[in-house]
This record gives sequence, C-alpha cells and structure tokens, in this order.
Amino acid sequence: MGPHIVSAFDKELMAIHAKIAEMGGLAEELLSQALEAVEKRDPGLAEQVIQRDKRLDRLEMEVDELTVKVMALRQPMAQDLRFLVAALKISSTLERIGDLAKNIARRGIYLSQARRVNLSASIVRMGQRTLEQLTEVLDAYSSRDTALAVAVWRRDVEIDELYNSLFREVLTYMMEDPRMIGLGSQLLFIAKNLERIGDHTTHIAELVYYVVEGEPLGDDRPKGEPLALDGLTD
Amino acid sequence: MSVQDTDIPAARPVDWRDPRILARIRRRHARDGWLKAAGLVALLIAFALLAILVGSLVYRGHSAFTQTMVTLQVHVDPKKVKPERLRRGKYDDMVEAALLSHFPEVRSRADRRKLTKILSKGARLALRDRVTADPALIGQTVTISVPVSDPFDQLNKGLIGRSTPEERRIVDDRAIAWFDRLAEKGLISRPFNTALFLEADSRFPELAGLAGAIRGSAYALLVCFLISFPVGIAAAIYLEEFAPRNRFVDIVEVNINNLAAVPSVVFGLLALAVFLGWFGLPRSAPLVGGMTLALMTLPTIIIATRAAVKAVPPSIREAALGIGASETQVVFSHVLPLAMPGILTGTIIGLAQALGETAPLLLIGMNAFITEPPGGVLDPATALPTQIYIWADSPERGFVSRTAAAICVLLLFLVTMNALAVILRRRFERRW
Amino acid sequence: MTMLQPDEAETETEAPTAELKMTARDVDVFYGTNHAIKSISVDIPDKTVTAFIGPSGCGKTTFLRCLNRMNDTIRNCRVTGEIRLDGEDIYGRDIDPVQLRARVGMVFQKPNPFPKSIYDNVAYGPRIHGLAGTRAELDEIVERALTRAALWQEVRDRLDAPGTGLSGGQQQRLCIARAIATAPEVLLMDEPCSALDLIATAQIEELIDELRESYSVVIVTHSMQQAARVSQKTAFFHLGVLVEYGETSRMFTNPSDQRTQDYITGRFG
Repeated sequence: MGPHIVSAFDKELMAIHAKIAEMGGLAEELLSQALEAVEKRDPGLAEQVIQRDKRLDRLEMEVDELTVKVMALRQPMAQDLRFLVAALKISSTLERIGDLAKNIARRGIYLSQARRVNLSASIVRMGQRTLEQLTEVLDAYSSRDTALAVAVWRRDVEIDELYNSLFREVLTYMMEDPRMIGLGSQLLFIAKNLERIGDHTTHIAELVYYVVEGEPLGDDRPKGEPLALDGLTD
Repeated sequence: MSVQDTDIPAARPVDWRDPRILARIRRRHARDGWLKAAGLVALLIAFALLAILVGSLVYRGHSAFTQTMVTLQVHVDPKKVKPERLRRGKYDDMVEAALLSHFPEVRSRADRRKLTKILSKGARLALRDRVTADPALIGQTVTISVPVSDPFDQLNKGLIGRSTPEERRIVDDRAIAWFDRLAEKGLISRPFNTALFLEADSRFPELAGLAGAIRGSAYALLVCFLISFPVGIAAAIYLEEFAPRNRFVDIVEVNINNLAAVPSVVFGLLALAVFLGWFGLPRSAPLVGGMTLALMTLPTIIIATRAAVKAVPPSIREAALGIGASETQVVFSHVLPLAMPGILTGTIIGLAQALGETAPLLLIGMNAFITEPPGGVLDPATALPTQIYIWADSPERGFVSRTAAAICVLLLFLVTMNALAVILRRRFERRW
Repeated sequence: MTMLQPDEAETETEAPTAELKMTARDVDVFYGTNHAIKSISVDIPDKTVTAFIGPSGCGKTTFLRCLNRMNDTIRNCRVTGEIRLDGEDIYGRDIDPVQLRARVGMVFQKPNPFPKSIYDNVAYGPRIHGLAGTRAELDEIVERALTRAALWQEVRDRLDAPGTGLSGGQQQRLCIARAIATAPEVLLMDEPCSALDLIATAQIEELIDELRESYSVVIVTHSMQQAARVSQKTAFFHLGVLVEYGETSRMFTNPSDQRTQDYITGRFG
C-alpha cells in the first residue's frame, strides 16, 4: 500500500497507529504486572498498576480526539476509514482491558493480606494464557496479520475452558471450607476479569480482520460451554 | 511525495536591502518608464500625423463648402424665351444684360465680353430652372442669385492675392475693380455650397458636385453588400461548422486568407477581363463596381465571420446538441445570433474598405466624366474615390479645394461607418 | 476485463434489482489513433443514480458522451461495441441521434444556459421536438420542468429575464430543467457541480436524489464524496478501463480492486 498523495494524512495515520501501539504495550504491561502482584503478593506493584492505568485512559482520549480530527479533515475512504473506525474501537477496548487489569491488581492487594492458597497458581496460569493472547493479537494488529488474528480468535475457547475449570475448583473449595468464601470470591472475580480480557482480545482480533479484509469476521466463534451450577451443587 | 523529504537544507536567506539588488530594481523600473514613454511618444506621433492630415484637408477644403454668388435683377424677356420652348430660351443673354446694366460705362464688345466672364456658365442654368418651374415669370423681372465663375470665386475667398503682380494673376485689375463695384452694391454673397452635394460633375469647378459620386458609391456598396454578406457568411459557416478536415479544405482556407492580401488592382484587372470582357456588362456601372468590390470584401467578411463563429463558446453548441437540436438549428438559432455582432463589425469594416477603394474602379471605367447622377446600378457613374482622383487630376484652381472637400466627405462617411460598427457591436453585446 | 454483475452484492438492502435501462458491451472509443476507452461493459439500472469516478483522463466523460452519441460531433472519434437503450442499439441505423438526445438528456460541467430568457431556455427542447401543440401546453411543460428542477419558486416572476443572469447554481438547475423538459428517460450529468459552491452543490445533489424517482441518472464526478452521497452504483474508470463497478456503499468501504482502493483513499502518486 503506497503512501497518500497528501503526506500529512500519512503522518496523522501513523501518529494514531503509534498511540494504539503504545496503548497496547501499556495494557500488556499492566496485565502482566497485575498478575505478578497477585503471584508475588506484592501490594506495592499492585498500587503501581492502579496508578499507571490513568495513563491508558489519557491515551484513549488522545486517540479519540486525533481520530475524530482526521475524519473531519480528511474524509477518509475505504481502508483508511476502516482503520480509523477500528482505531476508535480498539482504543476503547484496550482501555477496558486496562481497567480490568487494574481491578485484578486491586484484588491482588486483598489477596496479599489473606492467607496463601495454592489456587493462586492456577489463576496465574490462566493469566499467562490471557496475556499471551493479548500479545499475539497486538502483533497481528501491527503486522496486519489476519491469519494470526483468526488464530487468536479461535484460541479464546481455551481461556473459556480454563475459566470453567477454575470456577469449578474454587467453588469446590468454598463448599468444603466456608471460611474460604471471601477469598474464593476474590479469586473468582480475578478469573472472571481474565475471561473478559480474553473476550476483548477476540474483539480486537475481529477488528484487525475487518481493517485488513473489509468484512466482519462473522459470529461463529467457538465458545466455552455456559457453566451449569446445578451439576455441582448436588 | 515521501514523508522523509525534510532533509533538504533551507534556502540561504536573501538580503533584499543589498545595494546590487536595489540597483537592479531601479534599472527595472527605469526600463518600465522608458517603455511607457516610447509608447506615449509613438501615440503622439500618430496623433499628430492624423491631425496634420485632417487639418490640411479641412484647411484646403473648407472654402469649397461655400460658393460666391452674385444677386441680379433679371428681366425675363418674352422675345428671348417662348413658353412652348422653355428650355431653349436665350437665358445667358438675359443674365448678362442684367449684369451689364450695373456697368453702363462699359461699351466695347471686348470689354463687355470680359465683364460677363464674372458670371459662371451655370448662371443661365439657374435662371432656366426658375423659369421652367414657373412659366408665369416670363415678361417679369426676377431677383436671382447666380454663381460667379471660378476665378472670381477664388478672388472673393482670398485665394487669389490682390497683391500679386497683375501679369501673374488670372484676373486683371480692371476685372477686380468691376467685381469690387458689385461687392460695394451688396450684390456679392457667399452662402453654403449646396451644389457640392446636389450636382454631378462638371467641367467648371464652381458647378461641380459630388451627387453623382455619392450615389454611385452607394449603389456600388449596396451591390457589394448584397453579394458579399450572404456569400461570405455561408462560406464561413460551411468552413467552420461542416467542412471535413482534409487537404482540399486546408487549401481553400489558406487561399481565402491569401485573397485578403491580394492588391486591389488585381481584382480590377480580373473584373475588367471577366465582368466586362466575358459577361459584357456595361463599363462604368456601379453594378460592376459593386461586384468587383465584393470580390475584395468577401475574404474580409469570411475571416471576420469565422473568427466570430469560433468565438461562440462551445458550451452553447453542446447545450443545443445535448437536447437534440440538429446542426442547422444549432447554427441558426444559437451560433449565428451570437456571432452577429462580430460578423456585422467585420462586414462594415470590409465595406468601409471597399468604399475607399480606387484602383479597381479606375480599371472598370468608373472614372469617366459623367454629368448626371446614375439612376440605377447599370447607369454609368463615378464613385467618391474616383471622383477625387478625377478632380485631383483637373488643372482648374477651383478643383484643388473641391478635391480636399471631397476627401473630407469621404472620410466623414468612413468615420460614420466605423462608428456604426462600434454602435452595433455594443448594442448586440449588451443584449446577451 | 471481467464484468462485475450488480448481483454480486445482493446483500444490499436498497434498490431491489432495478431493471436495466442501458447496457454497454465491449465499447471501445478511438480519437484518431488514441485508444481512449478500452472494451467497457457496464449496466445502467433504471431509476438509480450511477456514478462514474476516476482520475482525469480516465475516459469517464468520453464514455458518458457515448451514451447519447455526443461523440458523433467530434471529428476523428470512432465508437465500436454495442450500447443499448431499452434493448435498442443506439448506434443502430434506425436511431436518429437528434431524437436520442431528447431521450437521453445531458447536463454539462459548466452551467451553459442559452443567452435567452429563462422561459425560452426551457421551452427550446420541446419546441424543436414539437412536444407542445399550443402555447398553453408549452407553458405547462416549462412550469413542470422548472418545478421538477426546484427552480420554479425562484424564477416564476421573471421568466422573461435572461437565463445568464441567474446565479451559478440556479443556472445549473435551469440546465437540468432544460434537459428534463424533453421528458428524457436517462439523464447524463458531466461533473454538474464542479463550478458550484457548497450550498448550490447540496441543492443539486438533493435534486439528483429526487430525480432518481423518475429517471435513470448517470453522473460523472471528480468528487468521491459526491459520488458516495448521491449514487447507488459506482463505476471506477482508470486509463480507459472500467476497473470496478458495484454498489456505492461497498465501493467506498471495501473496494475489491487495489487501484480503486488507492484512488479513493488518495494514494495515486
């Protein structure tokens, strides 16, 4: 794809692209730090995550402003239009991923004060999977690699399954030991957040596909089984 | 195009106050001044030349616009004119008698003949016309103003100096004395010379007029217009709108342009050979003159029409074609009306050129001596420029001022026609 | 060169398979030895606005002018191939271009009213084609055309005023009124707004949208935004070739050809 005749247009698109890349990097970092804080029971690190999320919020606003300006001034068409529409959506998705990472960090602070359970390891494992997915989808975005994006999109089902098994596990613990209920529900929330981040990642994958191919990816994504509680209670 | 093109070093800043730059600017302004001054001088020279030309013509010609007349009491003697033969009366005897009655002391035949030379040969004609118009005057005495002969007309206008030695003068001292006696009696007057416009050519300058030439020119121009205008427009429209682009049409176009540059005398020779030789048309006729002038005017009209048609914006043509007008409809309802101001201007300028053209008319004999204005396009006639040529060639002094006067009249017609062209163009252009 | 049939994008909601008004098959145009249009095939549906876009000199105007045989008036211009109006070959022997141009009206780039009165401008077409028997009928045709062209309200009191005295946008609407006064079936517009300001352009675009109910409109435009705004079908021409043809909404969001993509995103160097 050649450069635009109006080179300022290219510069603006590049600026937006750079900001999205920065947001992606930051979101990744926030997630990995939050996970680390949970794993290492480090409230200081968790606090850092909460602070750094503000930067992500600000970046989202900047992307919005820049995108609206480019749309108004350049009347983009086709690919450019899709790129800008996707930029708006990806930035807000990344911002939400940041929020979820922040939430994980908050719960990490609570967990660091509670007694240690070996369930945290499963959470961290699920977290690592989610982080990998996020990294890959951001790579797909930078390299316009639809194959990679589709691969990420399909793999989200694994995270769903991890979530389901973790859910069962935590639920079993809580049924066995009612003192675990407080701690367990924190763990459940973290797991839920990670599962949400996984969904957002597939959304980004869909947007990457749309930018490059000009068509929606479709809605027949493989999904995890909805969880039936009745099977557990008896 | 590329984004990285920003490494080019910035241009060295220019010091606009540098004395070399300032000097250069001054030189450039000086050159502007020179150009303007040269143009102005050229204009002044052209204007001065024009002023000298027109001024000298008016100076030399203005006296021809008046005519010295002598007022006489003429007894219309019934013995000398019979009512049944009014045009055969001895009018010169009667007029001469009326003049001689003022000079009873002049008795010898020679002196009396010399005295009557004061009167123009046309004096009797004036009386004849009066009596013919009203036969009841026979036997009565009429007061009539008759022209004096050319030498005395010149004397009265001061064109013959009284201080010139007698032997180098056409009128001697005695004749001057007689003329002065008449003037003292208040019989000499100098009214506007209506004969200049109402009479045709004559051997006597005081009687010669331009009526024949003006009418001859008018007929010739009418013929010229009737031929060259429709033919010229038709040819131009064909060439512009319909002619295919090929070698033949190219040759035709080049030749039309060349035709405009052919010397007019060549057209005269052509007319002599073709119109007079082959077709056997009469010599000196305005019809032939007009046809000859039409040959010359045609290229001018064709070129002007083509330019005017070309200047009609193609958008108008497209608009008409676009709603399904045929080519004829496009030409007649859109192109021609829009081109008309240009066509008319070109036509009038062409006709003005034709009006002033002399050489071809000389060749077809429109420089004959003709004393009657033409009654139609087949009657022999002169034209204004050929009349000027004839008069300029005549030896009598009176024709000098008449030649200048005729040139003034011709110029007046030309100016009028050009003004008409301007007015027409303005009028039509304002309508659209 | 492959033809893209309109049914390729049948998922579109609007214009349910309009009937075809004009069809062009393998049209080539030569100016002398210059091959200006290369084997173009395109279908122009009825009651639809079809936009021709493309860089200058791509042949879109040339092709437009084939549709009402305006190219006949250009010397050295040769058209081959087949163009049909309602199934009838317009280059056939029994079609007179003079009548064809009444059926396929044209509006030009620069507003070009005749230097006549507003009334005479509109009445010219009906007059030369003998569409009105009486003065009253002609009056009615003129009023209807001016009303359809959204100009009647503005000029009803000065029909005798010269058409050239109107503003640019009014002049162009007058030209549209003049074109529709002969009751054409197809209206060709060659960059009708390129000489107009924003407001006048918007008025013309609104008018085009209304005209779509009765006519098949083909518009050549340099402004992609305009093509996007007014048309339902878009054809992209490049170097005398029809590169892509399809639903406007798809052409401007997801064109299938790289050249179309480059052109509409402003990437031609």
